[in-house]
Amino acid sequence: MLHIKNLEATIDKKHILKGLNLSIKPGEVHAIMGPNGSGKSTLANVLSGKTGYETKGQIQYNGESLNDLSTEERAQKGIFLAFQYPLEIPGVNTNIFLRTSLNSVLKAKGEKELDTLTFLKLIKEKAAELGIDEKFLSRQLNVGFSGGEKKKNEILQMKLLQPKLSILDETDSGLDIDALRIVADGVNSYKNTENAFLIITHYQRLLDYIKPDYVHVLSNGKIVKTGSADLGMQLEKTGYKNLI
Amino acid sequence: MKQFYDFKIEKIKNLSSKDKNLRKKNLEVFNKNGFPNKKDEDWKFTDLNKILSQNFKNIVNKDFSLKNKKLELIKEFEHNYISLLNGKLISSNFSYEEKNKISLENYNYNNKIIFDKKNSLNFLNDALATGGFSLEISKNYKLNKPLVIYNHFSNSLKETIVNYKNLIILNENSKLNLINYVNESIQENFMVNTIENIKIKKNSSLSNIFINNSKCNGYFYKYIQSNLEKNSNFENYLFSSGLKFNKIDIVVNFNEEHSKSSIFSALNLNNNEHQEIKTRINHNSPHCQSFQKIKDVLSDESKGVYQGKIFVKNNAQKTDAYQLSRALILDGNAEFDAKPELEIYADDVKCSHGSTSGSIDLNSIHYLKTRGIPEKEAYKMLINGFLIETLEKLAEGKLKNFLIKKLERQINGY
Amino acid sequence: MKTEDLKNTKEYKYGFTTEVENIRSPKGLNEDTIKFISNIKKEPKWMLEWRLKAFNRLKVLKEPDWQKPKYPKINYQDLYYYSAPKSASNKPKSLEEIDPKILETYKKLGIPLNEQKRLNGIAVDAVFDSVSVATTFKDELTKKGIIFCSISEAIQKHPELVKKYLGSVIPLSDHYFATLNSAVFTDGSFVYIPPNTKCPMELSTYFRINASETGQFERTLIIADKGSYVSYLEGCTAPMRDENQLHAANVELVALDDAEIKYSTVQNWYPGDEKGVGGIYNFVTKRGACRGKNSKISWTQVETGSAITWKYPSCILQGDNSVGEFYSIAITNNFQKADTGTKMIHLGKNTKSRIISKGISAGNADNMYRGLVDINKKALNSRNYTQCDSLLMGNKCGAHTIPYIKNNNATSTIEHEATTTKINEDQLYYCNQRGLDQEEAVSLIVNGFCKEVLQQLPMEFAVEAQKLVAISLEGSVG
Repeated sequence: MLHIKNLEATIDKKHILKGLNLSIKPGEVHAIMGPNGSGKSTLANVLSGKTGYETKGQIQYNGESLNDLSTEERAQKGIFLAFQYPLEIPGVNTNIFLRTSLNSVLKAKGEKELDTLTFLKLIKEKAAELGIDEKFLSRQLNVGFSGGEKKKNEILQMKLLQPKLSILDETDSGLDIDALRIVADGVNSYKNTENAFLIITHYQRLLDYIKPDYVHVLSNGKIVKTGSADLGMQLEKTGYKNLI
Repeated sequence: MKQFYDFKIEKIKNLSSKDKNLRKKNLEVFNKNGFPNKKDEDWKFTDLNKILSQNFKNIVNKDFSLKNKKLELIKEFEHNYISLLNGKLISSNFSYEEKNKISLENYNYNNKIIFDKKNSLNFLNDALATGGFSLEISKNYKLNKPLVIYNHFSNSLKETIVNYKNLIILNENSKLNLINYVNESIQENFMVNTIENIKIKKNSSLSNIFINNSKCNGYFYKYIQSNLEKNSNFENYLFSSGLKFNKIDIVVNFNEEHSKSSIFSALNLNNNEHQEIKTRINHNSPHCQSFQKIKDVLSDESKGVYQGKIFVKNNAQKTDAYQLSRALILDGNAEFDAKPELEIYADDVKCSHGSTSGSIDLNSIHYLKTRGIPEKEAYKMLINGFLIETLEKLAEGKLKNFLIKKLERQINGY
Repeated sequence: MKTEDLKNTKEYKYGFTTEVENIRSPKGLNEDTIKFISNIKKEPKWMLEWRLKAFNRLKVLKEPDWQKPKYPKINYQDLYYYSAPKSASNKPKSLEEIDPKILETYKKLGIPLNEQKRLNGIAVDAVFDSVSVATTFKDELTKKGIIFCSISEAIQKHPELVKKYLGSVIPLSDHYFATLNSAVFTDGSFVYIPPNTKCPMELSTYFRINASETGQFERTLIIADKGSYVSYLEGCTAPMRDENQLHAANVELVALDDAEIKYSTVQNWYPGDEKGVGGIYNFVTKRGACRGKNSKISWTQVETGSAITWKYPSCILQGDNSVGEFYSIAITNNFQKADTGTKMIHLGKNTKSRIISKGISAGNADNMYRGLVDINKKALNSRNYTQCDSLLMGNKCGAHTIPYIKNNNATSTIEHEATTTKINEDQLYYCNQRGLDQEEAVSLIVNGFCKEVLQQLPMEFAVEAQKLVAISLEGSVG
């Protein structure tokens, strides 16, 4: 599904990714772990097509090069990024945002856009699954939401847009244990043989709930070690120091 | 600079000799000072004289013959209305209200009011004004439906100035929602210079909304002076957009305790439109609250200006005054200027202001794009959200929906 | 500060007069006065011509009247434009040659000029009325190629630098008081820091007005060449007199590529008595040009003195990536009036400016922040942040904030915030409950209010400034 070859990324003259290689097949869950400043969030940003980065190398997604696609085109093709810090957007109603987003994705796929009533029914269902109060949906997007509420909102969007590749950028940060469980359940319930996940995290904690098939250690812009789920647990004990 | 205007009192019919002399004196004052420029502190960022001289060859005043104009009524919500053509009252309808509770007449020019002595446009109005109305709401009467003032202008206004005055009185314990509505698409350049005098008596409440339905080549200046008695409330919503030049100049005088005033503005400007808001809030009494929230979105070569002053007299303790102006500048040739001013002489007060201007937040755009929303949509969504926030305090209902639709229309282009 | 200390300092402690024999120009503003000044300073011809050009320009300029603090009309023909202690008419070559009375004056002001006695390594240029009487640590600075001397000396010894930079930031015909200064300036400091040099000590000028009926018109010019750094301090006092005295100074700063100038002022001119009689009119033009890329100019001011203060230390951010800063505390009490602020003119790309202004008003005083932030169309990706806070003590005084904000650019951001408050009753109560009396508590809270600015000052000045803040508000709570 995703093949990254020799990916380099530079921003503001800082060379951050220095030749990263990664392959993800449908149905797989990959975790990327690494210390602060190793380039984890940069990888998420580059995959989502954020502007401002100078990149080199290849990113192939379902046989197509991502390099020339805009952020929204990538999203429409099924790449989803759950943000580490979801943005607060004052004045924009959450419901309207979600509907616009879903309809843009449906339209790009050539599917029928949803009318207001069908959409409301769908969103209420999805919100209920995640234990999100309906009232949130009529509030301004992420404005005044707690850390946990913002993260739940990200997972809600994931379940709504039904992406093929979901990138979760430090989704566990700032979550208490209950919220963490809800988020993990949300992810697990969406997992199937066609969807893949790339989970970016600093700690093992989230991986106790979402079992990865592979764990990669990112350090200084490169993947320095790849292993099974055990690697994450090992890191939790020994820290990154011994590896990098 | 070549003289680009020629105003004559003689063109106004049926004046008493006393009135004529008074008007002549006012015109002399105007002619001496001319249209305002940047030397005038109240026009710090705008040379109106230059703007007019570049767009007009010879502005004149006229005596208008009254013709009826077919009204296109707003269908979205039920309302009473007053219809003005070139500032003159031509029809009205208060079918939703009790009889004898509302008095509407032509403005009586015998009632002289003293306005801003430094304002040359006020002098020009004093010299040339004809038409306008006096509206008075009876004690203890709250209107059932909003009142729309349809402002129409005839096509023959090329290079012409229209001056008029309005008087609005809300007697004790009354309530009125006013909507000032301009629905013209005149392509010729013309000017409108209005003075509005508003008196809000004890326990009364006025909401004043300005909105335009279409673009036209008008150059408008409106000076509003309001005097508030105890426990009164004065709300303003300024969405008027689509004029070539527009300046709304609002003075709020808190003359007694426990009153409130708010001014919300949302403007979306493009091409070379120039819109300006000036507010002066005079806290002359204790325990009053004032709030201003001004938002501009500026594209192309447009210019937005906000000059807002909060004045607190030394006896006006417990004043709560807040002001915020924010602008999104979308193009390199657009400009936002602000002069948020505080002048405070009482110590037990809460007064603050904030002003920001800058580009749209690109991280937010990125966030929306990662959800599959195309860039252009993302911009519109953020702009819409940015502006629509100003409507937060307005009660839900047909009127609010109408305003939201109009605002969206402005953002999506007429 | 202890209560006894406060009592001791209750009155303006710098209000004494020094009895020295003076040389004065004839009274009045005319060509002869200007020639007198130029002649007594043995100036080259170009300098006199420059002054006369300014004087001719002055004849057509009008005294500005837009400022809020109004003052009685100044009779410019009734002032002395030059007054110098006779003993200093030829600048003393060493400290031994300085009139002991003047040395004593500076000692009383807390500025001993004797280098041996000084531990804190600050080089001082002492200006007494119209002339510089002493410059310390000169030798040490010369070794590094740093020029620190009076402007009169610089005109003689470094004419090429003076010619190149004098009037390059504040043009000859800028506005009335700046032009007046250009015509009649008498002395002031000159600093030149050579490329890639970090000035090893704080440079400082101490201004003292002593003589009566005399205006002080000093001129300061600081040039930081490529990659250099200098921190410069300025302090001012004057005797108590019931007449108003005029102080119209010009300060020009030029920072070239990668250079940084930090300019700090503690202004404590005589403010007049509690009825508003007497005091200095402090009408000063201060302007810095960040001419080179990556240059930085930072103004810090603590304004507690003067009957009327009227000044806007400004930055013209010409070089790409240049930075301008303005940190200000203005305290007005009794009948003092302050109209101060800054201008940040963004011309270069990626330029940044920051304004922090704290105004405190007590008694019958009026305190005004007036500022301009102007981001030019070409100044892409620029930023400004402004914060103006006012504190009012009582309801006979006023606080006024007038910012002018112009953003002409879709890639630049301006943020402005302003608040007006009084001293928080709960904070006062808390302090009282912990045993502080009212004045101590106020002093503590006010110092907290000003902290962001105070911490910009060099250590020695910060302590002085904190005391000043307390003294200036004497008797304002009760």
